[in-house]
Amino acid sequence: MSLGRIARYLWPAVPVLIALVITGLLLVVFGVSPQAGFGAMLRGAFGDQSRVLSVTAFWVPLALASVGLVVSFTAGLWNIGVEGQIVIGAIAASWLALKFNFSGPLQIIFELLAAMIAGAIWAGVTAFLKTRGKVHEIFGGLALNNLAIIFTNYLISGPWQPPEGGTFRGTVPFPTKALLPLYGDSRLSPISVVMVIAAVVIVFLLLRGSYWGLKLKALGKNPSSAFLLGVSSERETILALMFCGALAGLGGAVRVTSWFDSLRQSISGGIGYLALLVVMLSAFRVLLIPFIAYFFSAVLNGSITLQLRTQLHSSLGGILTGVLVLMVLLFGELRQLKRFSEGRVSSRPDE
Amino acid sequence: MLHFKMGRVVFLVTIFALLAAACGAPATEAPPEEFVFGVILVGPKNDRGWSQAHYEGGLYVEENLPGARMIVFESLNPADKPEATLEGVVDDMVAQGATLVITTSDEFEEDTVGAANKYPDVTFINASGDDAWSEGMDAGVAPSNEGNIMGRMEDMKAIAGCAAALATETGKMGYLGPLINFETRRLTASAYLGARYCYENYRGLNPDDIGYTVTWIGFWFNIPGVTLDPTEVVTGFFDGGADVVLSGIDTTEGIVVAGQNADQGEKVWAVPYDYEGGCEEKPEICLGVPFFNWGPAYLATAQAVSAGTWTQSWDWNPPYWDDLTDEVKTNVGWVDGPGLTAEMKAHLDDFISGLASGDIVIWKGPINLQDGTPYLAEGEIASDNQIWYLPKLLEGMEGSSE
Amino acid sequence: MKVALRDIRKYFGQVKANDGISLVLESGQIYGLLGENGAGKSTLMKILSGYHQPDSGQIELDDKDVKFSSPAEALANGVGMIYQDPLDVPSMRAVENYLLGRDLRINLAYSAATSEMIENASQLGFKIDPQAFIDTLSIGERQQLELLRLLALGAEVLILDEPTTGISAEQKEGLFASIRKLAKESGKTVILVSHKLSEVQELCDHVLVLCKGKFVGEVDIPCSTERLVQMMFKEIPPRSSRVSYLREKNLLELSQVEFEGERLAVTGINLTVRAGEVFGLAGLEGSGQKLLLQACAGLIQPKRGKIILDGEDVTRFSYHQMRAASVAYLPAGRLEEGLVAGLSLIEHVALARPQKGFVVDWNYFERITQSQIDKYQIVGRPETLVHELSGGNQQRALFALLRSPLKLLLLEHPTRGLDVLSAQWIWQLLLNRVEEGSSILYYSADLDELVERSDRIAAFSGGVMSRIVTATETTADELGHLIGGEE
Repeated sequence: MSLGRIARYLWPAVPVLIALVITGLLLVVFGVSPQAGFGAMLRGAFGDQSRVLSVTAFWVPLALASVGLVVSFTAGLWNIGVEGQIVIGAIAASWLALKFNFSGPLQIIFELLAAMIAGAIWAGVTAFLKTRGKVHEIFGGLALNNLAIIFTNYLISGPWQPPEGGTFRGTVPFPTKALLPLYGDSRLSPISVVMVIAAVVIVFLLLRGSYWGLKLKALGKNPSSAFLLGVSSERETILALMFCGALAGLGGAVRVTSWFDSLRQSISGGIGYLALLVVMLSAFRVLLIPFIAYFFSAVLNGSITLQLRTQLHSSLGGILTGVLVLMVLLFGELRQLKRFSEGRVSSRPDE
Repeated sequence: MLHFKMGRVVFLVTIFALLAAACGAPATEAPPEEFVFGVILVGPKNDRGWSQAHYEGGLYVEENLPGARMIVFESLNPADKPEATLEGVVDDMVAQGATLVITTSDEFEEDTVGAANKYPDVTFINASGDDAWSEGMDAGVAPSNEGNIMGRMEDMKAIAGCAAALATETGKMGYLGPLINFETRRLTASAYLGARYCYENYRGLNPDDIGYTVTWIGFWFNIPGVTLDPTEVVTGFFDGGADVVLSGIDTTEGIVVAGQNADQGEKVWAVPYDYEGGCEEKPEICLGVPFFNWGPAYLATAQAVSAGTWTQSWDWNPPYWDDLTDEVKTNVGWVDGPGLTAEMKAHLDDFISGLASGDIVIWKGPINLQDGTPYLAEGEIASDNQIWYLPKLLEGMEGSSE
Repeated sequence: MKVALRDIRKYFGQVKANDGISLVLESGQIYGLLGENGAGKSTLMKILSGYHQPDSGQIELDDKDVKFSSPAEALANGVGMIYQDPLDVPSMRAVENYLLGRDLRINLAYSAATSEMIENASQLGFKIDPQAFIDTLSIGERQQLELLRLLALGAEVLILDEPTTGISAEQKEGLFASIRKLAKESGKTVILVSHKLSEVQELCDHVLVLCKGKFVGEVDIPCSTERLVQMMFKEIPPRSSRVSYLREKNLLELSQVEFEGERLAVTGINLTVRAGEVFGLAGLEGSGQKLLLQACAGLIQPKRGKIILDGEDVTRFSYHQMRAASVAYLPAGRLEEGLVAGLSLIEHVALARPQKGFVVDWNYFERITQSQIDKYQIVGRPETLVHELSGGNQQRALFALLRSPLKLLLLEHPTRGLDVLSAQWIWQLLLNRVEEGSSILYYSADLDELVERSDRIAAFSGGVMSRIVTATETTADELGHLIGGEE
């Protein structure tokens, strides 16, 4: 292997290493040996079976939302409303779990479907605001995120509060058949892992082999050219956001039907925002999503142990992932710049 | 392209593997003489309120029990840490040698039971819960290695209500409530009963004339867009003619707004909550503060666990009446505020000593619920169960019961 | 301030925008910079104002070598440029814009600045309310504001790029008066970049002409329009005979059509294009010809009038409907509006063809793409990303994407930036289309091309369409006059 080839393979690791070094330095500053610190994180993430299960259980909704975001990012859309789409999916699933009674497995199937529909509709509102109201999807999404959270709070402190009075914590636990079947006494449902795999495969095939995926790609790279080539930007914008919303909503349903057993005050707690980071780190490649999302989940779970072992603030895990994303983006930019200066991206005269 | 992608994945995995190899240091085992205990907080350890009081209780144990080491985990709630679970945190604490874990919120009640079942050799304390109460609604839920601790804040709230009744000139007071549950209902009801007693016996006025309004904002602190804005609620109290505001929430809006009104020349008072230094915000209008002091109960528990003599109990710990500010002895406390006049203070001291001696019993019939249903018959003294599980607000109080 | 440019070169890829230009400008003089589109005027001025850096060559100000890495640095050295679109911040007040660029001070002295601004404005005869928001000001007022700002920051050399586009006649008079005053009384060096020969003759002392990236000559005003046109467009094109495929049928009929762009209103367009006709439009950039194509493509909706395509009323058709009605539009910006940078040729072909089913048959499209690559002689492979193609190959790719058959082909600058052979080849492709019965409506900045390739030609000037001339009976010279608004 030539040196250049080795360098090309090594390149993706550089930002990761820099992020680790920066976090390590922070550990030293706070008087913790990086060895002990990272060791604690590793043990927290993979120390025993229950930890691995916990990391995996947290990974599922994160991966689902991230896979959805690959679709909307491909279309050039900043679907920051993914957080609200998770929440609204959780609410829809909870609605069916609390208020309806279907026989056997239909119950959970309908809950998941309802969550996907609700997420898609919620995203559709953002899309509609964008295409018709000229409200940028970032602002529409943020507003709808808040609305979804306020709606949750209203439900758990109002109409859906437990009979003994609202503690503001959540609704009563759902009946067992309204929950996803769990592995042992963990919070992980094997079915939810299948959902992630299915989502990855479907999105991979869609983006690779379908007209729709091609249109989204064109739309994301150059809306005006895509328009002139015959892509209906309004329709594809709405569909891309709704597709993402459906997967995010499914993530929300997994959150209430396996991680929790009821609708809680903060059902997502920022998983959507985390998913945005995951997708940026992946450079929009869907096959990378499960791995990066797993890395995030492991780091976050590991930092719980880090906090307990070192009594440092557990935001260190957040710092690690944040620095990592920054580094990857920075290095991506550098690569872009380098290519630009080599003249591979041709610039044009002005007239 | 594919090579490139795979390279990235391979590297993430490799780095993890390298880390694993480099960091495979043995787990830090607790030395045998060390007593390790965990404290799990729902909020930050420096919130000047509920969570900080528990954290300081833990520090008190560390100071007074030789060899004691606390592992604290703060902000365990799905909004701050969506990835964290009580079970996971307990796993880690136990792995570090903790033999006592204190979970400090009723939010943790269910999960504490689960953790206690998982680790039968570890003692669990859920503060403010009732799962270990043999006469409680959830009797039998907690395994034998789980206990509950709570302070009798009701007495302190009665003192707060009394102070308000002694100070008020309009006869109207407002209670800034958080969210509605058994705990918050019985606390505001205690304050109301204290106010009635003092209004009648020290002021010589008819207690039925007291205007006592409870407004629930919806949570322990202000969440814009979600809860009512406490500032506006308190302003509303004063606009409605009240001149004393009693706070039941974690933050300081009550005394802040009262202070602003006082600065404009109005004669108003406030009773903050939860934090011993609550009066500092505006001392001259502060009638006093009721607060929790978890240290003594936690120390006793830690000592018992350490000595192997701990047995399951549900402790609703009384104050140390001789000195309500004695941090070594009292479980709940009351600090007089600078806003009390000498006359008010004399009456208040009399009320406190009456409560201490048992001469004054505020939870004594006849007491009706808000809808008029008789709750305690003439002369009947409420049982712990009747106070703890107060189903509604009391007759004479305004505000929603559920 | 004396300005000297020595052997300035600036290449964009293969395009030699400035190819060794040397000029000397004296202070107190007003220069007009002329040249056809693509002659390199804007590039040269952007180099002088620090927006671009030259590949080689020197800039001297008062005999001192200078190098600018940004417009701010150029301004600090006394060179300021007013762009066609004033570079102000619309949501801010006039006085705030006036203060822009003085970023060394932390404390902005608004009241002092306001009175300073009013005083400077009155000296030049301008009236701008310092508290007005930018977006409430007219283009002319924004130019005045920009001029004041540059002067306040010490500009000694002023470059004005097409300053009279979109301003009223009265404002133009005011602007010219103030420019004369600045040059003659304050000794500023002024460069006016303009296509409007009449304005150059009215305002300037000297005219500098660029052609294809080179400086071709300087004349003093007064000077005849004929002479200027000749200098700009250089050689008179050789007349080549071409076959006409004109048919009897009227394909496109516009009657009394009115439409509006951002700055320009076009009214009273009456135009008939016959089947098999090549209809050329001349005109300086932004004179209305692009709007006409966009209106015919369904990209802008006419305010009034009627558009008939092949007997069908298509006045209210959207772009996608027009597309379905066999109308194709090829915009000038290949990578901006035509192709999608980052997508491959094969992906473009798949996008442009009518969709069949849900799944893309990549094997099929690979074959199609390869055959198109062969047919259109594109240097590239099916999986080549379009932005990696050269300009000429991008243009070929655009043609390769066109559907067949087509009724009407709307083209902008079909051969801009292409060498002679490529241009010849593109026209052969177009003529094949015409032979099949398609009509072509196009505009070009190249007058020779218009004369040589079209059946009939009309010129646009300030939103007004001239009389229609027959290509075989006209000359580039006559077109030059029509472009200048002369009848």
